[in-house]
Amino acid sequence: MNNSGPSFWTTASSTLHFMLSSATPVALAALGGLLTEHAGIMNIGMDGMILMGAFVAAAVAAIAKSALLGVLAVIFLGVLIGLFFALFTVKLRSDEFIIGCALNTLALGLTGYLADAWFGLDGIRIDMTIPAMQNAYFHNINVPLIKEVPFLGDVFSGHTAFVYITWLLVIVMWLFVYRTPMGFWIRASGESPDTLRTAGKNPERMKWIASILCGVFCGLAGASLSLGKLNCTFVENMSDSRGYIAFACVIFGGANPVKVFLAALMFGFFDALGDQLKVIIQSDLPYAYLVNAIPYVITIIMMVYVVVSGQRRRERIAKQQLRKLEQK
Amino acid sequence: MKKYFAMMLAMLLLVGCFAACTKTDKPEAPAGEATPAGEATPAGETTPPPATDKLTVTIVVAGTFGDRSFYDSSKAGGERLAKDFENLNVKYIECNNENHDVQMRDAADAANIVVCVGWEFYDIADIAPEYPNVSFIWIDNATETPVKNVLNITYAQNEGSFLAGYIAAAMSKTGTVGAVGGEDNMTINDFIVGYKQGAAYFNEATKVEVNYTNTYDDPAKGKDCAKILHDRGADVIFQIASKAGDGVFEAAQEGGFYAIGVDSDQKYINDAVIICSMKKEVGNSIYDAVAKYLSGDKSLWGTTWVADMSNGYVGIGYGEAGATQQVPDDIKAAVEELQAKIVSGEIKVDTTRN
Repeated sequence: MNNSGPSFWTTASSTLHFMLSSATPVALAALGGLLTEHAGIMNIGMDGMILMGAFVAAAVAAIAKSALLGVLAVIFLGVLIGLFFALFTVKLRSDEFIIGCALNTLALGLTGYLADAWFGLDGIRIDMTIPAMQNAYFHNINVPLIKEVPFLGDVFSGHTAFVYITWLLVIVMWLFVYRTPMGFWIRASGESPDTLRTAGKNPERMKWIASILCGVFCGLAGASLSLGKLNCTFVENMSDSRGYIAFACVIFGGANPVKVFLAALMFGFFDALGDQLKVIIQSDLPYAYLVNAIPYVITIIMMVYVVVSGQRRRERIAKQQLRKLEQK
Repeated sequence: MKKYFAMMLAMLLLVGCFAACTKTDKPEAPAGEATPAGEATPAGETTPPPATDKLTVTIVVAGTFGDRSFYDSSKAGGERLAKDFENLNVKYIECNNENHDVQMRDAADAANIVVCVGWEFYDIADIAPEYPNVSFIWIDNATETPVKNVLNITYAQNEGSFLAGYIAAAMSKTGTVGAVGGEDNMTINDFIVGYKQGAAYFNEATKVEVNYTNTYDDPAKGKDCAKILHDRGADVIFQIASKAGDGVFEAAQEGGFYAIGVDSDQKYINDAVIICSMKKEVGNSIYDAVAKYLSGDKSLWGTTWVADMSNGYVGIGYGEAGATQQVPDDIKAAVEELQAKIVSGEIKVDTTRN
């Protein structure tokens, strides 16, 4: 530390900055995943959806030289994937676990193959020095006022549009799920489809809608990876298991958009912290391995927390009902 | 009706699954799907398929192609082989970081030479003896004890990285240089040890910051890792992370610092920020080993061949003619000199290989 490393505050602000940016793809996918979770579909195919989204976004943006067109294409693709997923899980009632697995494998093979066939061995990469290509990806936004604030500026400014839009979407999704009739029906379609049917709504239709929206969100997550975080780049398997982390976030957050977002932030934080610590405690091998294990240790701790708190809640509810019975 | 439709879609999925794991993209290979060697099972004693048949070389890579670096270099070697030898049928299999043993067996079932590209193929020590008629080449790692039909090729990446470290330190204005490794393992650390030593050789006070992505597939992670190093003052960063290393170049472009490529000559990827590449000629070494095999010389098998700087498999590349040259000529001259010193043994570069 004698060699004038960065101060604690710089490290802290940079950690938080990376927390926000690396939580974004996960959070976006998880926002979609919580809908299918509410609708009673176990969706482990999110990783494949992200990968397809990343591919289509990068492919369209690279050809059309427009990132916005890439995002539009991804929304369209998301609808298609959602329809595809719902066709099997809802209409044909196949095992959603198997379909999810198949979707992941299909996405991996298909995107790799198409990237190879259309763009050559290299995958999709653009030459950033060409001026026309400047529009093919989203640039970092320096937020006017916040940028000037010492610590917060480093944390909250300089992200791509995806990061800010995600925050907005978290609120929108919370309102959608808990404050609109549609959100209510989607939840009912998973928790008690028969009740919903009695009320004159078709639970299967709700599941279709949930799955289409999930496809769109996962597609956007992919786009946030290939066009936001990276400059219009696609390489094989670049989703790197983010879909599974998103699924974990959905479970941790109890499919509540705000809690799910917090879970994604937590994963992002430990991810970013790990990256920093790896540099700071270099070459101390045992510590380095410990640092690598942090995200997994946290996952296990969270898992225990979720299980225990779930059990507590059930106990509490059971006791309440018992008390009601006794009072009668 | 519905049922047939579902069946068809399911078949489509199934095809997708296969597309994922075994991608053999050699256009003109209708004749030789599989030489009969596979049918004869491991026990079969009549080995090399009839003389009229083509020999099959299968290149199995641990990750996926498209890294423009390590794996793609092996593919380039395979393509050169297919072009130069008419009786050769070259196939490729991507393991995508899983089931290395299964893919290796699949390859060995239908090939004469199996080239395993990646340090991950540990099972080769058990699998190779089951296929006595197949010759294996293991790239980037070595079996603990020699196996008769396995040729281990390891690379003196520490020597090339020494030069990369020297260039990085010489080009750095801040006195801090960085390296982004893919994983904290023996092979990657072999690069880093050499890199650190080279940087220190230029100037004892040079600070070397190292970060690991812990993935080879995720450029976004590589970008973050490089940005963190840049925040800590590094203005020349060496990427040793395959596809994840792509993010390092993007970070360099955005942050306005220099990067050093790895394995292949990566200069062409981003002429403005990549000042040079530490070349590890995986393709050439595969080509030379197979060519030797075809000429009837199998003396290499059962040994470990270290492809190093003295035989030209490791070195520094400054891109093709016409590329922008950021490294001034005097540094290049110094690098030449160092190279000669390493080859002559005057400079001994540390290593993590055993």
